[in-house]
Amino acid sequence: MTLNRPLSPHLSIYKKVLTAVFSIFHRFTGICLSVGAVLLSFWTILIALGPNYYSKFQTLSSLIVFKIFLFIWTLTIFYHLYNGIRYLFWSYGKMMNLSIVYKSSYAVIVLSILSTLLVWISI
Amino acid sequence: MKNYVNKWILQRVTAVFLIPLTFWFIYQCVLLSSYEYAEIRAFFFSKLNASLYFILIIVMLYHAKLGNETIVEDYVTSHKIKKITKLSISLLIYISMISTTISLFYLVSS
Repeated sequence: MTLNRPLSPHLSIYKKVLTAVFSIFHRFTGICLSVGAVLLSFWTILIALGPNYYSKFQTLSSLIVFKIFLFIWTLTIFYHLYNGIRYLFWSYGKMMNLSIVYKSSYAVIVLSILSTLLVWISI
Repeated sequence: MKNYVNKWILQRVTAVFLIPLTFWFIYQCVLLSSYEYAEIRAFFFSKLNASLYFILIIVMLYHAKLGNETIVEDYVTSHKIKKITKLSISLLIYISMISTTISLFYLVSS
C-alpha cells in the first residue's frame, strides 16, 4: 500500500466552483456550530449549578472578544440555516436549475448578513 | 446500507425541526435584555420555554452528531482513526445530551 498517493476528494486540483465553496463552507460552519451546541449545553449546566457558577459565564460574556465571537456565531447560524433550507429543496430535486442555484447562493449571503444585522440592532 | 439511508433521512428531518426552533431561540435571545441570573432563571421557569429549549438542544446535538459522522466518513481514510473519531463524537454528544437533560429537569422542578 502506497500512502503518498493523493486521496479523494482531490480538492486542490479543482477550480473553486461556487456550489463547491458553499458546500465546503456548509460543512465547516456545521462543525463550528456543533462546538457551539456543546457550549450551549455547558451554559445550561452552569445555570443549573447556580448563580456562583453562572457568574463565571458573566465575567466571560462582558468581554468585547465574547461579543465579536457571538456576532460571528449569529452569522454562522444564519448561513447554515439558509443554506440548509436550499439543501432541503435539493433533496427533493427542486430548485436545481443552475441559474436558480447561483441566485439562491447570493440570496443566502444577503439574507444571512441582513438577519445577523437585524438581530444585533434589536438586541 | 439501510443504516446510511436512515441517517440521511434523519439528518433532513432534524434539519426541518431545527428551522423554527432556531428562529424561536434567537428571538428569545433578543427578548432577554440583561442576561442576569434571575432573568435566565425566570426564562426557564416557563414550562413552554424549558420544553422548547430541551427539544432544540437534543435535536441540534443529534443533527450535529449525524453531520460530523458524515464528514468523518468522507474525509478520514484510516479505519482506526475513523472509528476513534466517531466514538469521541458520540461520547461528547451523549454526555452533552444527558447533562442538559438533567440540568433542565432540575431547573424546572426546583
